[in-house]
Amino acid sequence: MNTHRPVRALSRALSRALSQSTSSSAAQPSFPLKNVTKSNFEPVLVELRRHVAAADFVAVDLEMSGVTSAPWRDSLEFDRSDVSYLKVKDSAEKFAVLQFGVCPFRWDSSKKSFIAHPHNFYVFPRQELPVESPTYEFLCQTTSIDFLAKYQFDFNMCIHEGISYLSRGQENEALRRFHLAYEDGSKLKEVRDAPLVKMADTLFTERMKNTFTEWRDGLFRNKNGGFQFQGISNDRQQHLETIFFKMRPALSLNGFTSHQLKLIQLVIRRHFQDLSYVQVNGENSCQQQLVVHTDSKDDRESLMKEVKDEHLRQAETKVQAAVGFRHVIDLLSSEKKLIVGHNCFLDIAHIYSKFVGPLPSTAEEFVSSVNKCFPHILDTKVLLNANIGLQQRMKKSQTSLSSAFASLCPQISLGAKSTDLAFQLCVKVEVQVDDLRSSNWNSGAKHEAGYDAFMTGCVFAQACSHLGIDFEACLPSEKLSHNEKLQKHINLLFLSWSKGDVIDLTTGNKNAMSVGSKNNKKRYLQISYEKIALIWGFSSKLKAREIRECISKVFGLTSVVSIYHLDETAVFVQFNKEKLVSEFLSLKDTLERKDGPASVLHPLAGLLEGGNTRAADYETYKEICSSPNAKVLFADQAEAFGIQWKTKLVEAKASLCLGCESSGEKNALNPASKSDEKSERKNMENVQSDSSTACVSNYKIIDSLIASRGDKIRTNL
Amino acid sequence: MATLIRRRLLCTSAKAGKKWAVKEVTKANFSEAVEEFKDDLAGSDFVAVSLQKTGSFSAGWHRALPFDTNDTAYLKAKYAAERFQVLQFAACPFSLRASKLTAHPYNFILFPRDELKVGMPSYSFSVQTSHLTYMAQEGFDFNACIYDGISYLSKAQESAAKVRIGNPTPGNYVVDSSLTHTVADTIFIERIKSRVKHWKNACKKSGSRTDDALLSSLRKLVMGTEIYGSRPCMNIDVCSERQVQLALEMLKEFSDELVPLIIPANGGGTQSVRVVLTSSKEDKDLFERELQNVVEEQNKRVRGFREVIDLISASQKPVVSHNSLNDFTFIHSKFLSPLPANVDEFTGSLSLVFPHILDINHLMKNIGPLRKVTNRPAAISYLNNHYFAPIDLETLPQENEGKIHRHNVVKMCYLFAKLCTILKIPENAKLSNNHLLAPALDVYTNISNPFSDIPQESINEDIRIWRNNMRKISCDNLVFLWGFRSGLTAGMLKSMLHKSHDVFSEDFDVRLVDKSCAIVVFWQPGLSGTFLDVVSDEAICGSLREMVSEGLRATSYRTYKRVCKLGLWEADLAESLDKALEDPDYSMEADSTTNGREILWSTDSMINFDDL
Repeated sequence: MNTHRPVRALSRALSRALSQSTSSSAAQPSFPLKNVTKSNFEPVLVELRRHVAAADFVAVDLEMSGVTSAPWRDSLEFDRSDVSYLKVKDSAEKFAVLQFGVCPFRWDSSKKSFIAHPHNFYVFPRQELPVESPTYEFLCQTTSIDFLAKYQFDFNMCIHEGISYLSRGQENEALRRFHLAYEDGSKLKEVRDAPLVKMADTLFTERMKNTFTEWRDGLFRNKNGGFQFQGISNDRQQHLETIFFKMRPALSLNGFTSHQLKLIQLVIRRHFQDLSYVQVNGENSCQQQLVVHTDSKDDRESLMKEVKDEHLRQAETKVQAAVGFRHVIDLLSSEKKLIVGHNCFLDIAHIYSKFVGPLPSTAEEFVSSVNKCFPHILDTKVLLNANIGLQQRMKKSQTSLSSAFASLCPQISLGAKSTDLAFQLCVKVEVQVDDLRSSNWNSGAKHEAGYDAFMTGCVFAQACSHLGIDFEACLPSEKLSHNEKLQKHINLLFLSWSKGDVIDLTTGNKNAMSVGSKNNKKRYLQISYEKIALIWGFSSKLKAREIRECISKVFGLTSVVSIYHLDETAVFVQFNKEKLVSEFLSLKDTLERKDGPASVLHPLAGLLEGGNTRAADYETYKEICSSPNAKVLFADQAEAFGIQWKTKLVEAKASLCLGCESSGEKNALNPASKSDEKSERKNMENVQSDSSTACVSNYKIIDSLIASRGDKIRTNL
Repeated sequence: MATLIRRRLLCTSAKAGKKWAVKEVTKANFSEAVEEFKDDLAGSDFVAVSLQKTGSFSAGWHRALPFDTNDTAYLKAKYAAERFQVLQFAACPFSLRASKLTAHPYNFILFPRDELKVGMPSYSFSVQTSHLTYMAQEGFDFNACIYDGISYLSKAQESAAKVRIGNPTPGNYVVDSSLTHTVADTIFIERIKSRVKHWKNACKKSGSRTDDALLSSLRKLVMGTEIYGSRPCMNIDVCSERQVQLALEMLKEFSDELVPLIIPANGGGTQSVRVVLTSSKEDKDLFERELQNVVEEQNKRVRGFREVIDLISASQKPVVSHNSLNDFTFIHSKFLSPLPANVDEFTGSLSLVFPHILDINHLMKNIGPLRKVTNRPAAISYLNNHYFAPIDLETLPQENEGKIHRHNVVKMCYLFAKLCTILKIPENAKLSNNHLLAPALDVYTNISNPFSDIPQESINEDIRIWRNNMRKISCDNLVFLWGFRSGLTAGMLKSMLHKSHDVFSEDFDVRLVDKSCAIVVFWQPGLSGTFLDVVSDEAICGSLREMVSEGLRATSYRTYKRVCKLGLWEADLAESLDKALEDPDYSMEADSTTNGREILWSTDSMINFDDL
């Protein structure tokens, strides 16, 4: 998951700013990029179809209105993989996509270089059709919006000119509605027979009746020769004009009020068998009312059918237009090209929820659905972290997009024209916008989805070349997505980057990533969730240290392995034994039941002070994560979720069994975790043998964990 | 007559040009603008406010409806105020003297930037695309808003933020008679006293001669001397608030030279007391003034736009608003403190800050035909056509100027002035003496009940017509129905019900609330209870039984109140009612609230489906 996007992009921008200052290439043109809004969307889409069809892979990147709807929904090291997914799901459901970068890359064997077509789509979920949907409301994270503003994101462009879209579900719903509306012909049956009350109405009706009779009689006369339509239309009524409608003579009604039109409709129905009142959509979507003459009943029916079909066709065109940006997604899906993104699990979740359908409730269902839509997805962040060779190339620099781009593609990122030998090995990339190709531009392109997509594609191309993929040999005869050197990296995404969980889109298997194996700078916590209790709603004065003291007094000095602040209202307490969770919960429950002096003096009293302290197991955290509310504080969220009880008791035995199973499963999946477990056990032995020192080290771990949460997110990029 | 007035208005607007042009205020010109605003406010009798928000309600039934009580209407407004954001706050101090309206409109552009990186004023906020699109059409500049909008914190957030920033504050010793010294206290006091004395003397001595660097740094180490600004200082570490008080008490002895500062610990509490040595009495005064300035500067930065709210509040001028419930729930939640749980607490808390709030809608209700009108242009044109109440305004912005939203607040003043003239609200009441004003306008000030019968939505420019047969009806006579076949109209439902059971032989009314739910009014008291009993009775028979077996459900008004109270804001009311009934605590909760149980029922006032 793309946890701290702002931070990631910040470092991205910083490095860009640095490179800009060093290269000082003021004379070079700015980065060529196709900006797409609703005004030029249609023609660009036509072009894009061509580019994507010819492309070897397509890089994508998204800018969203926010990432986390509340601090406690941030991605944490404490997240179990199902919780990680729920957090991603919440984010994708609540926030909007504001910018979508699409960059098809094609290998040009004559020039021995890639041709990239960077597109920057402004997207805005404007409601174009009257289809009810909750998507017309979205959340903005203040810091994300502020961050976008720092990079000169054009909000006016986005809101005024952004391309709207319908998901597949919405499209079907809109079509269904239109069909329903025209199926029963309700548009034409609207007018009920009502007695004419007003004198004016009666007079008007009478006059219209005469006019129509006259006009119809004129038509009959005309059949016998002579051409005298216009006689009626011009001298009597400026409102009426004789035209031909679907090969039939017709009278167009102009300048009548809607009340008058209703009366006319009544007149026609009551008095004229051979005339029909029709409403059609003319040019510029203005409605045109007609009275059409038909020869027979059959002819009349066929006319009505023609009109209905036309209405439907128009409605369908309207819906097609409203589908808008989803056409791009459909294009990517139907072409089955290799999609390349950087740390793109959240991006894919956004794409799915906005353009395909509602997000499923589990990660497994989600990835299998994604796999059907997009059979080949490659995450450059996974690729860079999985391959030691690539990490060495990058001189162990970080795998954030900008640093990867800077270290892998210096020739592109610096825009330098060098004959340096190192650059000879670099994959050449040219950029084409409209029909203009360029290979020379200012690297300081501002932060936007189109440029990010381009960088991602460049990083991927360079990584491929380092992996020894010969573009010349494998393209176009063999698809890149089937290349055996890439196979082991394709369709793997980081479910949670902060925890290093990788999910396989084809199988749904989740695995802890063995990041660069030799690279020790990143170590993931091995957590058994059965040992975790969740406490919230305690007095705001309580800090982690006091909570630890409270609990340790009861369950022993070593009972608490760590305390982790979810936010100011909630903590995770990690016990050293699983049964302590249930013991703690039942003790709390008992204490709250009897309200004697004993419970006031009890060591836990401090924790229970205020009477609103709630406690539960890790499962409850998952349940609360799955609720759609967006309260900033966890305690408020739990309340909104409807938690009434104070303590959720868990059966120790049952969960013990469950724990055995799940840990066994984990081991089967991931041999690396075994060693971690070993070290953990060792740790525990330490704890037992020399509790004081172990305790200190544990404290240290926790404290650094708490203190450096922010830093970690930064360093983990 | 009306045309004459209009012509006059046109003339004056042409003549006056940009004299009363609306002042757009962003971060860049905020401090000057506030000074000007302060002066304008001081010279005016009223101040009109109008808010531009990012959304109003997500589903049709989430807005205030005719059958809402004050409390449910408030809860709905609260729900919106907590989720959406204010992007523009228009404030316009104005005076009306002898039919001459003098207005000073300001548009403050706001953005809830997290200046202090502490997740305030709002971690995130919702937007409705329809609102943004509408604002875009009106020419609202989102880039200006997000790049340069003025930041702010509410009063409650400001105090929370002060703790988090942890700036030193001057320590004020509070004499606490209950403070009796224990032995430990005495030891603590003696220990720090000797340290302070020692340090002070050392400082004074060293002041006279120049040390070499090594010596002075050594001295620093030994003495714990640091420099605060240009003055020497030392820190006294404390373990509790009691020790803070003890230290402050002891320091009183040295009060002519030493200034104590309290250094807050991370996340609340006190870390230490810092003692700053000043060289003389004058120097001490100077230092205290410096501190004061620093604090003020800091407060200004933190508070941001809220300064304007504070100014309006401090001026005690009557505040004129068009959507008072909606606007003031926003104002309360963004600039004062989180919204309280019920309407009584809300009005109580609000009236402490804004004692006089005048709702234009409420004034309009005193002019019969205007009851029907909810939008401003229509109201203005109605008044122009039917009353002779010339108001002299230098500029009345024309509709065709495009950026209408900028002038909203001026038009509001204009409308208010007209209403005042027509309703003959006495001149003297409008003079700046607020004490005079209060009783005269109190009839219209009624903020606690201005909302019961008109759902306001300034974005919709349509006019809703009410028939004049509003009737008071107790909430007990209302029943919510849902689970009926989709696509039924109120009329069809009514005739089905009419045939289904005896309770429907008396007069009753049916209205659709949204597409999933209807409300039934029993004009005969007691019948609602009978009906609810019948529906839940096993002996139910006939077509009603059939309807129930098809999924028809019914519940009392109490459940609806509960929906609002629990915040079960689903898209369909039916869904929310179901959820409220599922709640296990439902049956246990006593229905304690008895006030506000009457609503006005108008027979023609349900939701206009075109608006949904």
